Amino acid sequence: MAGGLLFAWALLSTGRGLGVALFLAGGTYVAAVAAAGNGVAASAPVVAVLLLLAGELSAWSIDERWKIRAEEELNWRRGAAVSALALVGFIMASLVVALSAVQPNHGLAWTVLGAAAAVGAAGTGIWVARR
Amino acid sequence: MTGHISRRLPAYAVLAAAGLVAGLALGRVEPVALAAPFLLALVAGVAGREPQIFARLTLDRERALEGEELTATVDVSCPSGLDRLDLLMLLPPNLSIEGGPARAIRLRAGQERTIELQLTCERWGAFAVGPVLVRARDILGLRSWEGAAAEAQRLRVYPTEETLRSLVAPLETQVFAGNQVAKTRGEGIEFADLREWQPGDRIRRVNWRATALRRTLWVNEQNPERNTDVVLFLDTFAEVRGEGRSTNDRAVRAAATLAHGYLQRKDRVGLVGFGAFLSWLLPATGTRQLYAIIETLLTSQIVTSYALRDVDVLPPRTLPPKALVIAITPLLDDRTAAALLDLRARGYDLIVVEVSPLELVAPEPGSTFELAHRLWRLSRDAQRWRYEQVGVPVVSWRDDEPLAVPLEEVNAFRHLARPA
Repeated sequence: MAGGLLFAWALLSTGRGLGVALFLAGGTYVAAVAAAGNGVAASAPVVAVLLLLAGELSAWSIDERWKIRAEEELNWRRGAAVSALALVGFIMASLVVALSAVQPNHGLAWTVLGAAAAVGAAGTGIWVARR
Repeated sequence: MTGHISRRLPAYAVLAAAGLVAGLALGRVEPVALAAPFLLALVAGVAGREPQIFARLTLDRERALEGEELTATVDVSCPSGLDRLDLLMLLPPNLSIEGGPARAIRLRAGQERTIELQLTCERWGAFAVGPVLVRARDILGLRSWEGAAAEAQRLRVYPTEETLRSLVAPLETQVFAGNQVAKTRGEGIEFADLREWQPGDRIRRVNWRATALRRTLWVNEQNPERNTDVVLFLDTFAEVRGEGRSTNDRAVRAAATLAHGYLQRKDRVGLVGFGAFLSWLLPATGTRQLYAIIETLLTSQIVTSYALRDVDVLPPRTLPPKALVIAITPLLDDRTAAALLDLRARGYDLIVVEVSPLELVAPEPGSTFELAHRLWRLSRDAQRWRYEQVGVPVVSWRDDEPLAVPLEEVNAFRHLARPA
């Protein structure tokens, strides 16, 4: 509910708080899954894509507030791009869930890989924010 | 160009990082699955590069009349192509574009596109149209680059002129040939009087009918056609604005109409802009003078000033002797009133056309401002009386009337009250 309220606030206030709303929604899901116990939640890819779509569609809605006379082709292209991003994201998330069933030979390697990916994502975010 | 990132890009980065860290910390795969699409979006967002945009703004003409439309063309290209290009043409307040000044297009690599915008000139003035601001965005709107791409273009919008059937005839004419019938006697077309023949008179001027009656030679005398000097005295000290209209707008239109009318009659027309900024044009004739007057009128603006002004600050030849001075004023500032009375005292043939501001500030019936409005109207009546006492016709030009109406009132005033 808090995430939903934050989404509404994000839409009304030109995007401020959108990230917090997404974080809250995702965090709520993760907490629910963790509390549910062992076993992989097969709904994770769907939730991931829904969160991504929520962010992209909110941003698109906010962009349309400028009321700029745009060619129709632009809207179709953006819709196609969002759809493609959601589809590929779903495939990636599903791959991640599927690969989790594979038993790794060396737990440390996977841990290091995961840590490197986390650091890479954080570093990319900082680099982008500073550009 | 200045680069910007969408607010959600850092948010996606934080979400992706948090998902990965949570996956490591909790030992679960679900947070990593949540992070995966956001990582993908992050990669898509950082992949963009600053584009090079070329744009050019042209107008189909540099001059237009009030109310006319003209086409502004923006030619834009980008060697690398753009998923989305937003164009915004900066416009001054009195110009408008149908559908708004902003457009969004797509540019393929190497493609040059032409965007045409219909510009409507709502009011006279000298304007700078543009520059054109551009914003290039990637297809998801994650990153954008903004800048100015095309230089501004000058546009002159001339005031609309009314058609006048007749103008106010000045009391005195000048020595050059023109279209105004003079009071003096000389060579001309208009019959003036009869007199006895004198040596040197030409035979063609003999009035044979009068000669036959009186049995001595009598000749016709004519009034010659001469030109006149007219000075348009524009009061730019103050104005009243309301409901998108202003007394200064109407004053400029009246000045343009009168200048055009008198110059067509081959009279010499000058201009004095009397206000915070003094401007003047010496009387002259011809099309060049008309354009010079219009160009000067376009730049006239009301600026608040407390400087003392009188007619002594004007160059000597600005107000030629025996010139007709037509003052176009809203009668708001005492300095203009003092200057006009000074002109009358110096013997100028003066007419005051009051651009009435009453319609713009009419109070609500029954409001407390009604009493103040009535007092204001009384003070304006008193001011008009002062002018009329010294023989200056003061006519009020209301918003819904053509200019010909007050000019006819001036002619009627002059017919009834013969000036000294």
